[in-house]
Amino acid sequence: MTASAPRDLTARNPAPRDTAPRDSAARERADRDALIRIVEVWRPHAARLIVGLLLSLLAVLAGLALMSSAGLRFAGAALGMVLVTTTALRVLGLSRIGLRYAERLYAHDAMFRALATLRVWFFRSLAKGAAAGLGFRRAGDLLSRLVSDVETLDGLYLRLLLPLAGACLTFPVLMIVVMNVNGLLGVLIGILFAASALILPLAAARLSRKEGGGLNHAQASLRVDVLDLVSGMREIRAFGAGSRVLDHVNAANGRLLARQAQLSRRMAFVGALSQLCTQTALLLMLAAIAGVGFDRIPAVQGVGLMFLTLAAFEGVSGLTRAGMLAGNMGAAARRIVAIADEHPQPSLPVPSPANVMPTVFDIHFEHVGFRWRPDRPAVFEDFSLDIAAGSRIALLGPSGAGKSTLAALLLKATFPQSGRVLLGGQDIASLPDTWLRRHIAWLSQATHLFDDTIRNNLLLGAPEASEEALWKALDEAAIGDFIRKLPEGLDTWLGEAGVKVSGGQGRRIALARTLLSDAPILVLDEPATGLDAQTEQDFFLTLNRVAQGRTVILIAHRLTGVEQLDHAWRLSGGHAVPFSAQG
Amino acid sequence: MSESKAAIKAWTRAQARLGLRAARPSIILGIVSCLTGAAQFWCMANILGPTLTDFVTPDGHGAGVPIPLWPLAGFAVAAILRTAINFTSENASATAGRKARSRLRNEVLGSIVGTGPAVLRHAHSGALAALAVDRIEALDGYFARWAPASVLWIAAPAVLVVLTALVQPRAALILALCGATVPFAQALFGIGAAVASRKQFLAMTRLQSRFLDRMRGIATIVLAGRADEEAARLAQAADDLRRRTMKVLRVAFLSSASIDFAMILALILIALSDGRHAQQAIHTTDAASFRALVTDSLFALLIVPEFFAPFRGLALAYQDRALVQGAAEDILALPEVPETGVTEHVRTLRGEAITIAFEDVSFTWDEARGTALEHVSFTARAGETLVLVGPSGSGKSTIMELLLGFIQPTDGRITFNGVDMQSIAPEARSSLISWIGQRPVLFAGSLRENILFAKPDASQEDLAAALRAAAVDNFLTALPDGLETMIGEGGFGLSGGQAQRVAIARAYLKNTPVLLLDEPTAYLDPVTEADVFESLQQLARNRTVILASHSTAVHMFRGQRVDLLQGRVAARQGAA
Repeated sequence: MTASAPRDLTARNPAPRDTAPRDSAARERADRDALIRIVEVWRPHAARLIVGLLLSLLAVLAGLALMSSAGLRFAGAALGMVLVTTTALRVLGLSRIGLRYAERLYAHDAMFRALATLRVWFFRSLAKGAAAGLGFRRAGDLLSRLVSDVETLDGLYLRLLLPLAGACLTFPVLMIVVMNVNGLLGVLIGILFAASALILPLAAARLSRKEGGGLNHAQASLRVDVLDLVSGMREIRAFGAGSRVLDHVNAANGRLLARQAQLSRRMAFVGALSQLCTQTALLLMLAAIAGVGFDRIPAVQGVGLMFLTLAAFEGVSGLTRAGMLAGNMGAAARRIVAIADEHPQPSLPVPSPANVMPTVFDIHFEHVGFRWRPDRPAVFEDFSLDIAAGSRIALLGPSGAGKSTLAALLLKATFPQSGRVLLGGQDIASLPDTWLRRHIAWLSQATHLFDDTIRNNLLLGAPEASEEALWKALDEAAIGDFIRKLPEGLDTWLGEAGVKVSGGQGRRIALARTLLSDAPILVLDEPATGLDAQTEQDFFLTLNRVAQGRTVILIAHRLTGVEQLDHAWRLSGGHAVPFSAQG
Repeated sequence: MSESKAAIKAWTRAQARLGLRAARPSIILGIVSCLTGAAQFWCMANILGPTLTDFVTPDGHGAGVPIPLWPLAGFAVAAILRTAINFTSENASATAGRKARSRLRNEVLGSIVGTGPAVLRHAHSGALAALAVDRIEALDGYFARWAPASVLWIAAPAVLVVLTALVQPRAALILALCGATVPFAQALFGIGAAVASRKQFLAMTRLQSRFLDRMRGIATIVLAGRADEEAARLAQAADDLRRRTMKVLRVAFLSSASIDFAMILALILIALSDGRHAQQAIHTTDAASFRALVTDSLFALLIVPEFFAPFRGLALAYQDRALVQGAAEDILALPEVPETGVTEHVRTLRGEAITIAFEDVSFTWDEARGTALEHVSFTARAGETLVLVGPSGSGKSTIMELLLGFIQPTDGRITFNGVDMQSIAPEARSSLISWIGQRPVLFAGSLRENILFAKPDASQEDLAAALRAAAVDNFLTALPDGLETMIGEGGFGLSGGQAQRVAIARAYLKNTPVLLLDEPTAYLDPVTEADVFESLQQLARNRTVILASHSTAVHMFRGQRVDLLQGRVAARQGAA
């Protein structure tokens, strides 16, 4: 047995290329490109996101108006003068509360819609590249990308974009109003505001980007370790490795917490800096009112200005902290986009898409050359094989001879480096993946049973199948009687990876799923794995009866002798040799 | 553990106690910060008061009493102090949150490991991982925010009301009255928040489990041409999560809006009453006391946002409190860690040959499906091999689970050299037994780490010997980095036969007197199967072996044979 025989059509995918580029300029570029890709995915929600933005700007304006008039009113009130009417204040106050509520609700909703879309996009992109299985990717890591990394990105709009837009609106208002009263004061306040809204956040972003998303990785690796612990429980218990594995997970937990500690310390620090900016601005205002260092400004007006300043700085107080998260957001974007870019690409020019789908299903492998990786030996160099529609054939041979690779090529899970695969005379490269895969039902050695009912597991192959059809398929797979005896029958929950049935039973349910499909071509890769000898014979006898008129491609190491086949080939040395020992 | 309300309450209360203890520094710092804030406002009022009165009082108009400078300096000092205090308190809270999460995660993982594989019959591994990772991450807010906020929301406003009362009793009364409405609003919203946030977490867990399961079977989905349907279902789950999240946020936003409302009400009321007072005073009092009056009023007004800030903190943390309830339910729903019984150390059986006997053992997974084993008896003699034969579902795997101690017989007993295995400490038991299943789980890590998993302190020679004996060395050269090759999910990158060889190498390293083989070749082709069986035969030498298989190749193993049919012993060969 050689290592070139990938189980379950597994292309030897390289590990995801989301590791951060070394130099910071390249990383910055990578972050930006990834973010642009993600913003493109969000485009369908552009209208909502823009409305959310406008609402938030309105709320900022209402806030500024409220605070400065409250300042006047307040200064006046202490003296018993009415500078702003109570009604005006009340209206402003209520509209500020109402707007703030509406803005937060609407903006969050818009963002979460965009995140849901991003999650679906992520799944679709992943599916595009996953016909050959997950490869070296860990499900836990992917889960972390789908959940935590996508969630991190909500900050992009809610914590960065909205307050930044608010700051852009606030800045001129603040400048004009303060400059009108005192030029020097205006300049100083302007500098402090710019520091709080722009300079500090940028510096924080730069610092956090240096981390290159260490937190995201720590989070993902904890998830991978925990999933390993949960799914490897049998091994862990059998080897008495409980405390060792716990130590291992605790170490991952420790790494995550250390990252979080670093981040929260930094956040507290930049938060303190931005608080100092606010306090300094207030101090300057007070000094101007007291006439210390500045020309004394009129007290009532001064109080109004002070309130305006307070409101302006409060609006941007979160920006510095958000800037500290920029590195995580960039890394999250990179980790999400990395998956989308990672699928096998045809190495030959893709013919223009077919307009007319084939109606006959003869299969031709035409001078196909293929290797899994450039540094691996070729599986095929000049492989040709014809399989007539409706025929029953077997591909035999030891592991590593390329039997499963043929199935992978046929299903476009991977692509030949030379030659073509034709279906009904058309190059399959020109046929849509989904169409092709619905016309070829495939039972692999690692077909997955989902954490769902038996019924739903069966319906995966044929969503419209009738109850009768389900039972027929189950009987053909020699599992019908077992399921009839279950108290909940077809609605029995199979559990994770079919944990609630034995290995052989699960295998037969998967087989029934394949038989249920009405695809004109059936590819059965070692269908008898996990069946005992008698059941295996029964199954092949059944197979002779069912699937009449369909092409059946049987992939096996050997034949039992009961199969009725039109042709059998033995794969050896990258060629198909007619196999004659069979009658 | 029972899921009863009482248990959940007890657990939540225990966490609250721990949380409060850890939050003590944050609470004290919070009150100090609040006092510094009051000092700042006092300084502010002492600048604004004189300047404002200077502007209006008839006798001092335009002339200007000198504005005192101490408040400016005081303001600056208090500002720096307050920033430093907030910085420290933020760090203290974050530390408390981290410590609590670390502790809880440890407890949950310990409980999962303690329960063993049976835990997967209760919950999907995705749900368990979500519990250990996300559920507990989400509790950060409970310990870092809620715990201090739950005290500060009463303590801090109380301190401020007392301070205000010293300066301006009328304003203090208004503050107290407006502040008193907040708890009612919170209680009202709080009920909604608890329900909403629990549902949100459920949606989150559902999304995760679904995605994880689909991820593992992604090739099956894609090759069935069903990726679009699955994407649509995922979209539904993701949208459900959004709606649930929005419900949580709506409550949170509403409650913070209600606090804003109370605050504005307090501001207006204080401004009106003080304004009226000032208007009366302006003609009746002298400049100095009018100045003092205005300064006091200003202080009372300035303190209002500060007074309501802790309430806002409480409103923000309210959903954190709800999350702890949900976490309690999930954590308490973990199956009880099975009693290990009398941990009588079996008179050190290490290195000794072991005879295993099943004495009239019955077992039932669940009533509905009937018994899995009925009165099964057999003896596997020391150093010999016993083969269990039978179609799938006949009870072979159940026997293995019993031997591994993952489950206990409903009836009868299993003995190791005459000692009931339930009375042997689990660690002692696991040091006696090696197990090879249908597909070994390969962990994230290198091939070396995966083999050393069986015995991390194995010497270089032991490892080399195990690699040779299990014929791992045959395919090492074909791997990109040899022993250091990283292995992917479910052992992708290794073929089934290679993965089984890793398992055999593990068993060699562990070197135990008992070897359990549970259909070790179920997923292998006949040629590979024969190879693997050959290695297993070597491994079986001088060990007590129980082999479950329905393969025709088992005749390679000499020894007694027990035929199982629907949980009963149907036939025996080679005397039992």
